Amino acid sequence: MLQRNYLQVFFAVQKALFLRELNMRISVSRLGLFWTFFQPFFQVMLFVLVKLLLFGDTAETFDFAVFLAINFTAYNMFRSIINKSMGAFTANKGLFNYKQVKPIDTIIARSMVEVFITGIIILIFIVIGLYFDYDMNIKNLVMFSLGFLWLIVFSFSLALCLAVANTFIASVSKIVGFLMYAFMFGSALFYTVDMLSPELQNIIYFNPLTHFMEMIHGSYFYTLDTKHVDTVYMMSWTISLLFFGLWFYMRLEKKIISL
Amino acid sequence: MIELNNVTKYFQTKHGKKYILDNVSIVIPSHTNIGILGRNGAGKSTLMRMLGQIEFPNNGKITSANSFSWPLGLSGGFVGNMTGKANVRFVCRLYGKSNKEIQEIITTIKDFTELGDYFDMPIKTYSSGMKSRLNFGLSMVFDFDYLLIDETLSVGDTRFKKKSKEALMKKIETCSVLLVSHDMKILRELCDAGIVVNEGKMHYYENINDAIDEYEKINKKAG
Repeated sequence: MLQRNYLQVFFAVQKALFLRELNMRISVSRLGLFWTFFQPFFQVMLFVLVKLLLFGDTAETFDFAVFLAINFTAYNMFRSIINKSMGAFTANKGLFNYKQVKPIDTIIARSMVEVFITGIIILIFIVIGLYFDYDMNIKNLVMFSLGFLWLIVFSFSLALCLAVANTFIASVSKIVGFLMYAFMFGSALFYTVDMLSPELQNIIYFNPLTHFMEMIHGSYFYTLDTKHVDTVYMMSWTISLLFFGLWFYMRLEKKIISL
Repeated sequence: MIELNNVTKYFQTKHGKKYILDNVSIVIPSHTNIGILGRNGAGKSTLMRMLGQIEFPNNGKITSANSFSWPLGLSGGFVGNMTGKANVRFVCRLYGKSNKEIQEIITTIKDFTELGDYFDMPIKTYSSGMKSRLNFGLSMVFDFDYLLIDETLSVGDTRFKKKSKEALMKKIETCSVLLVSHDMKILRELCDAGIVVNEGKMHYYENINDAIDEYEKINKKAG
C-alpha cells in the first residue's frame, strides 16, 4: 500500500470523519436537524418574553434580541462541542479498528461539525437581520471574530479533558450536565457584567466563559465595552486546559483505543 | 516482517493478572501466511489485534513497516443509519482514496457483494450475513501487506462462501494473512506457518502442521 505521511493521513481521516458525522446528523433524524437550527431562535424568543414579563419594556442601549442571539449562538457552540465530544470515544469505538483513526480525531471532527453548524446558524441570523433591516454594524469585527475563534479552542480544550475523564470516571457526564446550567445562568448570557452588583461581579469573574461572552458582545455593540475582559485569565484557562487535556489524552490514548 | 521485543500483555482480573504474553521476543518473517491457534481465551484475537497495532502491549514493543487491514469479521466500524454505500465511501476516504477511485470501488463492491437494492439502504436493515458480506468485500479492494482475519471466513450462503474464498485465494497471492481460526482444514489450506498461544507463551512453527500438532497436544492435556 502507498505510504502516506502523517499529515496526509490526518487530513484524510478528518475529512472522512467530518463528512460521516454530517451524514449521520442528517440521516439519523430530520427533526433533530430542524431543532439544531431553530433552537437559537426559540431561545431568543423565550428570553425576550421572559424579560418582558419580569421587567417590562426596559430600555437598553442595545438591541436585546440581537444580544441574545449572539450570546446563545456562542454558548450553544460551547455546549455542543463539549456534549458531543464527551460521547465521541464510546460512540466511535468501532472505528478504532482502523489503525489510522485515533480517538482524538473523533473529537476534532465532532468539534468541527459543531463549528460548521454554528457557522450556518450565524448565516441564518445575518439573513434575518438583513431582511428586517437590523443595524448589523459591528464595533470591532476583529475582536468579535477572535472571541468566537478563541472560544472554539477553549471549548475543544475543555471537551478533551472531559472526554478523557468521562471515559474513566463514572458520572462525569451527569456533573457536566449540571455544570451547563450553571454556565448558562452564570456567564453573562442574558445580562452584561455591568448590570450586576459589585459582589456578584466578583463571583462571576471566576467563570472563564463570562470573559468570552463579554468579549464577544462587548466588541459587537457600540454601547457596550470589554473592560471586564481579562485576556490573561482567558489565556491561562485555555492553555492549562489544553495542556492537561493533551497530557491526559497522550497517557491514556492506548487504553481508550482498546476500551 | 513483524518484530516483537520483550512483549508482555495481560488483563487485570479480580483474581490477579491474566497473562496473554509474558515477555515474548520473536521475529515473524515476511510473505508468510500465518495461522494463530490457541484455546478459547488464550488471547489469539488480542495477539492478532496487537500485531495489527490496534491494541497495545503493557510492556515491550511490536514493530513492523507493513500495512495491516482492520480485523475482518468485525462490522463495528459501520454506522447503522447510513447506507452501505455511504459506509463504503467513508472507509475509502479513511484510506485517502480520490473521488474517482471511490466510484470505481463502489461499483466493484456492489457487484461483488450482490447486495442489490440493499446497497442503498441503511446498514441497520441488513442481516448479519449481509453485513459480513459487505465487510469482506470492502477489505478485498485495498492493498494491505497483511490481512487480519478473525474466525469469520464463513460469510453468507454456500455460493457466496465459495466466491469469497476464491477472492481471498487470489488476494493472498499479493498479501499475507494472519488468520485466527479453530478450523484446521482452513488453517492447513491457507497458512504456511503457525503460532500457538498458550499460558502466556507463544511459539512460532515454520510449518502449520507442526503448530496444529502442538495445539492438539495442548487440548488433550487440558481435556
